[in-house]
Amino acid sequence: MITTPAPSHAAAARQWFLARADLGALIDGLRDSGRRVIGPTIRENAIVYDEIQSAADLPAGWRDEQAAGRYRLERRADERVFGYTVGPTSWKRFTFPPNLPIASAHRTGSFGFEQPTPDAPPVAFLGVRACEIAALEIQDRVFLGGQFTDEDFRARRAAAFIVAVQCTTSSSTCFCTSMGTGPEVHGGYDILMTEIDEGFVVHAGSPEGAAIVAKLPTRRPSHAEAGAAVDNVESVRTQMGEPLPMAGINERLKLQLDHPRWAMVADRCVECGNCTMSCPTCFCTSVVERSDMEGRRSTTERQWDSCFDVAFAKVAGGDFRSRPRDRYRQWLTHKFSTWFDQFGSSGCVGCGRCITWCPVAIDVREELAAIAPPIAPVIRPVAVEPVAASPGSYSIARVATIRPETEDTSTLTLTDVDPAFLAGRPGQFVMIALPAFPAVPISISRFRANGIDLTIRAVGPTSTALTNLHPGAKVGLRGPLGTFWPVEEAYGRHAVVVAGGVGLSPLHGLVDALVANHDRFESVSLFYGSRTPEDQLFRDDLAAWSTGKAIDVAITVDRAGPEWKGRVGVVTTLFDMISWDCTKVTAFVVGPERMMQASVQGLISKGVPADRICVSMERHMECGIGLCGHCQMGGRFVCKDGPVFRLNELGDLFNREGI
Amino acid sequence: MATTGRTARPRVAVAKFASCDGCQLTILDLEDELLEIVSRFDIVEFPEATSRRSPGPYDIVFVEGSISAPEHIDQIKELRKQARVLVTIGACATAGGIQALRNWADHDAYRAAVYAHPEWIESLATATPVAEHVKVDAELRGCPIDPGQLTELLTAVLVGRRPQIRDEAVCRECKRKGIVCLVVASGEACMGPVTTSGCNALCPTYDRGCYGCFGPRANANAKSWSAGLLKSGRPPEEVRRIFAGFTGYAEPFRSVITELGKAKG
Ligand SMILES: Cc1cc2nc3c(=O)[nH]c(=O)nc-3n(C[C@H](O)[C@H](O)[C@H](O)COP(=O)(O)OP(=O)(O)OC[C@H]3O[C@@H](n4cnc5c(N)ncnc54)[C@H](O)[C@@H]3O)c2cc1C
Ligand code: SF4
Ligand code: SF4
Ligand code: SF4
Ligand code: SF4
Ligand code: SF4
Ligand code: FES
Repeated sequence: MITTPAPSHAAAARQWFLARADLGALIDGLRDSGRRVIGPTIRENAIVYDEIQSAADLPAGWRDEQAAGRYRLERRADERVFGYTVGPTSWKRFTFPPNLPIASAHRTGSFGFEQPTPDAPPVAFLGVRACEIAALEIQDRVFLGGQFTDEDFRARRAAAFIVAVQCTTSSSTCFCTSMGTGPEVHGGYDILMTEIDEGFVVHAGSPEGAAIVAKLPTRRPSHAEAGAAVDNVESVRTQMGEPLPMAGINERLKLQLDHPRWAMVADRCVECGNCTMSCPTCFCTSVVERSDMEGRRSTTERQWDSCFDVAFAKVAGGDFRSRPRDRYRQWLTHKFSTWFDQFGSSGCVGCGRCITWCPVAIDVREELAAIAPPIAPVIRPVAVEPVAASPGSYSIARVATIRPETEDTSTLTLTDVDPAFLAGRPGQFVMIALPAFPAVPISISRFRANGIDLTIRAVGPTSTALTNLHPGAKVGLRGPLGTFWPVEEAYGRHAVVVAGGVGLSPLHGLVDALVANHDRFESVSLFYGSRTPEDQLFRDDLAAWSTGKAIDVAITVDRAGPEWKGRVGVVTTLFDMISWDCTKVTAFVVGPERMMQASVQGLISKGVPADRICVSMERHMECGIGLCGHCQMGGRFVCKDGPVFRLNELGDLFNREGI
Repeated sequence: MATTGRTARPRVAVAKFASCDGCQLTILDLEDELLEIVSRFDIVEFPEATSRRSPGPYDIVFVEGSISAPEHIDQIKELRKQARVLVTIGACATAGGIQALRNWADHDAYRAAVYAHPEWIESLATATPVAEHVKVDAELRGCPIDPGQLTELLTAVLVGRRPQIRDEAVCRECKRKGIVCLVVASGEACMGPVTTSGCNALCPTYDRGCYGCFGPRANANAKSWSAGLLKSGRPPEEVRRIFAGFTGYAEPFRSVITELGKAKG
């Protein structure tokens, strides 16, 4: 669960009211308890975290206006002290310093390495936001949650007293509600404050916090004041709007490692690393050795580094992330995907710093939406209930005609079929059986007024027996089964059909539907490749489509004799004819696995979105209805979740060896 | 090749072409380290500090300045032959320096405007970085160079390790120092995102955008950065000037300048 629960008015227990004029008493109290106070203060045109001496250092009456690549301070209409969101510095600077000596070594007389003992005097962080508490908790998991720990961080974290502040305003770059981290603070603080018009509603979250609060000039808040505090925070939630669809983002990103958008965003990214440096959870570092000229004494300093560094993943033999797109992908997939695997949560808390402080205004939210959009629901057959669904029960049909297509492939036209088959949709299949032969899945290649066509290649016993039938013979049918081509989703777009060899058979019915409705599409085209001219299916139909105006047909063969006048080459060589805006293409691809892989790659690299590429998968099937387990592909049953899939539903499963 | 023995001090020469001597002065300004450097290195040639001259070969030759006059070409080739390790120092030697701006201009007109008797001045039509003429083993960037990087290089030579000179954006140094980004928070122009670090974000520390004096870092996405500056509302001519600083002749800054020049004409 990633979305934060809505706030409740009930948690009013043990709250106090502190007038704004008395805020100084809190700072004094923290200082008197021996703590250095780090809090918000204005420096260099921004609200940064730095040492605070008194309430006068705080940014009363200021707010920040933030957008991608832009930060400006503005005067507020009131004197609120915490009326801004998050600035360029995060608390990481104090829990995990940018430069830290971690060792020294010497070989003068003796030889040795020394490690400095962590030096972390007591400190109070004033004004820690919900997203920042979440970031500190992520740091806890990163640095202290595993087998090896960062003792310097442990000391600094333990020395930090947390005065949290609930946000009563948000920036356009904030998305804590999407990441489930804010704006409400749910724990992890010593003192919690919520600013209202007259002052602060205060609550202690630890005995140390209670001790400080006890010395403040507080009173019990009125009912109205307590209510205003909750409402102010809740209004921020409304201000931020609908949360982004983050469900499954870990897996969604993993399915998109080859998305063309990585290269597009890398063209804009200047690889400055400001995003990772500003991010409150990024933890990458490098060490720098410094020594005297003889190399007898040296110190080792740890420095913040970034995966955007050109040398970050270099080894003697080369660079694992040599291209900018590799480095951008490392950043985004680490924050939103692989971090879950390593540390059990997202690496992003939604603070928006990487968006504001990116000098070329790259917004991770836009990149995520483009690269890993929420997965569309599986296409399911709607209208038609299959007949004779259970294995063993068959609906009888009669062979009307049988026409040879190629040497080993014939098309059977079946009549006297149950009306359910006529109402089937292109892309669906039937299980067809003859007595004494196991049933086999065959796509419906054509829907006729009173029957259906099945185009069958004789590859084994059942298929051979079927292609050897004579008109008048009877067969057993179950279906129509499986998902179908989402024709309507391509309305207004360029519909592109890519077929290889007998793969044209499950696409024939689709082409019929595209041709019949051609004016609903921006354009309709068919790319068809077969091994030789003799291997082409449906030659009469191809000729008719080619001469008509409804569809552009391009045909190629892998090899041909001198009498062949058309193009020679694999089907992907036809893609150089594509001149449209590929983001507006919906593609339908069927053929041998290798051909599908090459075609899909070609389409993706031209910019066709993965959720707009539909493929039909072939798997061994026995039952056709999700009961026998034969056709599984990862978590999918090809018979009932497919055979037609959108590529983004399959992601890594598509053409993966051994699945 | 004659090399010095293990115990002998490495022989070091400093050579100068077209430059202001600022980088050599950086060496002299290394007050704390200078004595130690002199005791560990045999500095046999140093025009700015001594008139002593001694022939090669040398273990290390530091070259300051760009190749801007006809005789420079033979001189740098000869120096290369005499040098075991040749290190270019400063924006002039590594990128052509501020003089390289003339590479886009009409050279004769430029010369006539600058000198009273242009016919007495012999200079090449271009000012080019040393690496365009001979192989360079290491570079110290900047105008002038950073004393810390210089000592690091000398130390690395003595200790026998790789000098820890990073190639990262100036922005990284800003962020480590906690400097608020001038571009984002104040709308200033800054070359930091495409410029290699080493100065410890000197200019941003003093509230000025980076001038790019350390030059482009490897794979700098200068195209995107110039697009970003244009998008902020700056006219092409201004963006061209921002790129055309001390290291404008180094790729990929050079292409951006040429491109923006075309846009103007
Ligand atoms: C959704 C779907 C639609 C299909 N549409 C068509 C079509 O329109 N035209 C066509 O000619 N073929 C189609 N096939 C392939 C067809 O089902 C097989 O070629 C057929 O099952 C072979 O059976 P057989 O007894 O003749 O040969 P066998 O000797 O049994 O097998 C030959 C090859 O087919 C495989 N196979 C065997 N039984 C099955 C089975 N039940 N399911 C899948 N593969 C099997 C075997 O592993 C072997 O590689 C489709 C397959 C699927 C999954
Ligand atoms: S801040 Fe922006 S430009 Fe810089 S590395 Fe990050 S995404 Fe790229
Ligand atoms: S990835 Fe960006 S939004 Fe997320 S925590 Fe880091 S800086 Fe904040
Ligand atoms: S995003 Fe990059 S810099 Fe940040 S923690 Fe991950 S690998 Fe490190
Ligand atoms: S992300 Fe949420 S918690 Fe963080 S500053 Fe913005 S509104 Fe506040
Ligand atoms: S001021 Fe310049 S160098 Fe510093 S972070 Fe901003 S763009 Fe980078
Ligand atoms: S064919 Fe039986 S589960 Fe899919």
